[in-house]
Amino acid sequence: MRQWLSVLCCLALAAAVLGGTSQVGAQGGGSIVGEVKFSGTPPAPKVVKVNKDNQACGDEKKSEELVVGANKGIKNAVVSVVGAKGPAPKPAQKPLLDQKGCQFQPHVLLLPAGAEVDIQNPDGVLHNIHTFSTANPSINKAQPKFKKVMTEKFEKPEIIKVQCDAHSWMLGWVVVQAHPHYAVTDEGGAFKLDNVPAGKHKVEVWHETLGKMTQEVEVKAGAPAKVTFELAKK
Amino acid sequence: MSVFRSKFFQAVLILVVVFLLFRFGIRPAAPWSVFTLYMFVALIAVLVYVSSNGDSWRSFVAPIRATVLDDSKRPIRLVLMVLLPLLFGYYAYTQAAARIEAPAELRAIHPAPPASISFRGKTLDVQGLENPLRKDAPNLKKYVAEGAVIYIKNCMYCHGDNLDGNGHFAHVFNPPPANFTDPGTIAMLQEAFLFWRIAKGGPGLPKESTPWNSVMPAWEDRLSEEDIWKVIMYLYDATGYQPRRWESHAAVPSPLTLTLSPRGEREMRGSSPPAAEGEKFAFSSPPQGEKSVPSSLPQGERTQVRGSGASLVSAAWAQPAGDPAKGKAIYEQKCLLCHGEKGDGNGPAAPLLDPRPRDFTKGKYKIRTSASGRLPTDADLFRIIAEGMPGTSMPGWKVLPEKDRRDLVAYLKTFAGDAFKEAPKVSDLPKEVASSKESLARGKEMFEAIECNKCHGNAGRGDGPSMPELKDDWGNPVRPANLTKSWTFRGGASAREVAARLVTGLMGTPMPSFIDSVEKPEDVWHVANYVKSLGPEKMDFATILPVRAVQGEIPDDPAAKFWEGQPPHHFPLAGQVIADPRNFNPSVDMVTVRAVYSESEIAFHVTWDDPTPSKPDPKAKTFADQVALQFATRPGEGNERPYVLAGDGSNPVTLLRWSSEGGVGEASATGIAKITPRTGEAVKAKGKAVFADGQYRLVIKRPRGGADPNDLAFPVGRFLSVAFMAWDGGAGEGGAKMSFSSWYYLRLEEPGSNKPYIIPPLVVLVTAALELLVIRGARRRTHGG
Repeated sequence: MRQWLSVLCCLALAAAVLGGTSQVGAQGGGSIVGEVKFSGTPPAPKVVKVNKDNQACGDEKKSEELVVGANKGIKNAVVSVVGAKGPAPKPAQKPLLDQKGCQFQPHVLLLPAGAEVDIQNPDGVLHNIHTFSTANPSINKAQPKFKKVMTEKFEKPEIIKVQCDAHSWMLGWVVVQAHPHYAVTDEGGAFKLDNVPAGKHKVEVWHETLGKMTQEVEVKAGAPAKVTFELAKK
Repeated sequence: MSVFRSKFFQAVLILVVVFLLFRFGIRPAAPWSVFTLYMFVALIAVLVYVSSNGDSWRSFVAPIRATVLDDSKRPIRLVLMVLLPLLFGYYAYTQAAARIEAPAELRAIHPAPPASISFRGKTLDVQGLENPLRKDAPNLKKYVAEGAVIYIKNCMYCHGDNLDGNGHFAHVFNPPPANFTDPGTIAMLQEAFLFWRIAKGGPGLPKESTPWNSVMPAWEDRLSEEDIWKVIMYLYDATGYQPRRWESHAAVPSPLTLTLSPRGEREMRGSSPPAAEGEKFAFSSPPQGEKSVPSSLPQGERTQVRGSGASLVSAAWAQPAGDPAKGKAIYEQKCLLCHGEKGDGNGPAAPLLDPRPRDFTKGKYKIRTSASGRLPTDADLFRIIAEGMPGTSMPGWKVLPEKDRRDLVAYLKTFAGDAFKEAPKVSDLPKEVASSKESLARGKEMFEAIECNKCHGNAGRGDGPSMPELKDDWGNPVRPANLTKSWTFRGGASAREVAARLVTGLMGTPMPSFIDSVEKPEDVWHVANYVKSLGPEKMDFATILPVRAVQGEIPDDPAAKFWEGQPPHHFPLAGQVIADPRNFNPSVDMVTVRAVYSESEIAFHVTWDDPTPSKPDPKAKTFADQVALQFATRPGEGNERPYVLAGDGSNPVTLLRWSSEGGVGEASATGIAKITPRTGEAVKAKGKAVFADGQYRLVIKRPRGGADPNDLAFPVGRFLSVAFMAWDGGAGEGGAKMSFSSWYYLRLEEPGSNKPYIIPPLVVLVTAALELLVIRGARRRTHGG
């Protein structure tokens, strides 16, 4: 019995390694689908009045700190399988962190460790990329209007806050992945983790203002495991 | 050969040597009056020497006679005939056009204390008063430690971390704060004397000590009796001195055997060490250190042990690394009160400081030669410890031996865990570009292209649109540098250092690295040169405010061309820390004043930097911006003045003031909390202010008075007194929370003095006439005889 289990594990690992190319349910892998929901009455979204560079930035910005959808789904939460192994797949396209309209897009960017990211400034005003990290060097680099693209690399897995001091409302997150099994929730709070090896897993959700939560999930080959998180204001 | 034997030549040689010796050999330079006295004595001595016998005298006179009489010396004679009158004329001009100076003031430094003082309703006999805490032998260490905290929260701002009277407010005050490490201060005083001075401060001094000039507050309302004794114990302990005692035999040991004497030359803040070629930054002069020996030696006789003093000049970092264990001991004595036991920047003094003391646990350092995100090099850390950070409460620690500073570097690194295991990645500084018209033009272009103004403002005064929102990585508000005040640049004032900041950024603050985001790498030099051009190279603060006489109407408009033609006088301000709310981090650190008077009016043009024009707003916790000129309501005998902080009970002051809310007004005050605005006809001042690019300019005018003996009067030629106060309402300053200056003299210059144009030509004519007389007389005698 035990031998069987370890063989299964090996297979699962192989599936994980090959995750980038293999299809859902193949080689004993499964998927985790689910939702991240807000528990309680969601607060009204914060709106920041823009007091500079209005031509590029507009007159007001909706804060993306906590975006709750129609059925209380939380956008921009990061769901990952705790302790999963293997390198994250190379993205098909070079990841892009855009600052169009004085706003980081995407608000949460998934990035494989060691991958390069293009940081774009199409606004024609000064931005500065100020990261708050501990594992990676904490950088603060200016990106003036004529510097349309800058390239950065983050070597070590970490969730990194990114801000622009020139525009105090600008806030974004770069999630440097330790392994392939990460997902960011969509508008409705839904996510899908593909190619998760079968077996019992701890799944963690992280949200920038609501914190972390974990749940145990059993993944079976070929069938999507369902999980719902309910996050409340701390 | 005969030239050297000539007595005339010898005499001239002696005088030249004496001149050079007195002029350049004495440090600090002797006052001019003393110098001329010495030269006069030397001249008499030389004359005595050359006239000691007839031969000698003849030898001395011969060259002079020859020049006057010989036909062969005619060219020399003619040259001298022209040169000498011009020389005297020039001297007369410098004397006639000399700027007025403040009159000398004599003051008793250590006056006799009164027999007894009343302290919080209790009478204490100063004669024979002893420090009661010294009897509690087991707790001495504890008292000293508590005294240190009291010191750092109350005294450090003026008297300095080093106890050398060189705190970051010290340059504002005259007389300067006491230097406790000087053997002429606490080492020769009894503890009771110190108690009296601390409790009663400047206002408690007797008349001969010019109490109106000392800004030392009376601490009796803020510190308890025990607090004062504790801080006194700390002063002696930290300096290694012993108080004088009534009985000389019973030497009570100081609780901690000490220490490193914080004695040392004042470090010129804003001065910067010369840097070596390339990206490596060299250190300034070879470090020197002085160590005091344990305090059991007789007072004032401490032996000085020189530090190793090895030259570091551009030797990079070939030096052996310091010893963190030894560094820890030094840290606990010198750094802990601000930076905290754990190195997290949370020492007892930290909440009062802005910028806050560095948190060493994150490994984030502002002033580095390493790339953005990277740890500083050992040399970077060493440099900051040695030089301090201008414009902050971090002093330079050159008073510590170089070895100790190395040990400190080693210890600081241990706070950041394993972070320092990685070798720092040094950022290259592009090849230097000297400042030139082209470089400045390019610098301005880049300054605008990379939007330095976002934070630093269009004129560089730290007033950019993003200014109010800036926070450091610890979430504390942080002010962008005022680029017109290079002497407050944290990492040094030179173009090289400014360029280095542009390359590396200031980690932990919003200031980013620009090396990857300028068009060409050398642009950082152009921007640095441009930044340097935004303000004066250094700041020369004034000692007196001369008021010029002008004809006709004085313009009301602060922006009028007229005012640019008047000479500016700069006065430094410091925070008010004795009355609540205290102001440890004043926003306005200087005012620039131009003053003129006409037949009927006196007018002051005041310029000061303030990032935002603000109005009172309880929600935003802001107040009106204000500035005030303070005058003694009743000018006293001689140089007597009221206490500088808005006067005292018996000595009122009059404030001419302006506020962004109410415009120009006047007030009478007998203390910082007793300011009574004047109303109606009593207000004679009028004026107007303008604000642009982070700077206020104000014209405030008033009749010169004189008719009413109870009103301010500004007669010509008298030394009057003036002091300045400022409030940046946008920074939450209002009421007692303000910055203020020492008293300064103010003098209305005699109108249209033409002395400089009349006296020198007269001197030239008289000298030439005398010369002619001498030559003609001498020739007549020779030829006639």
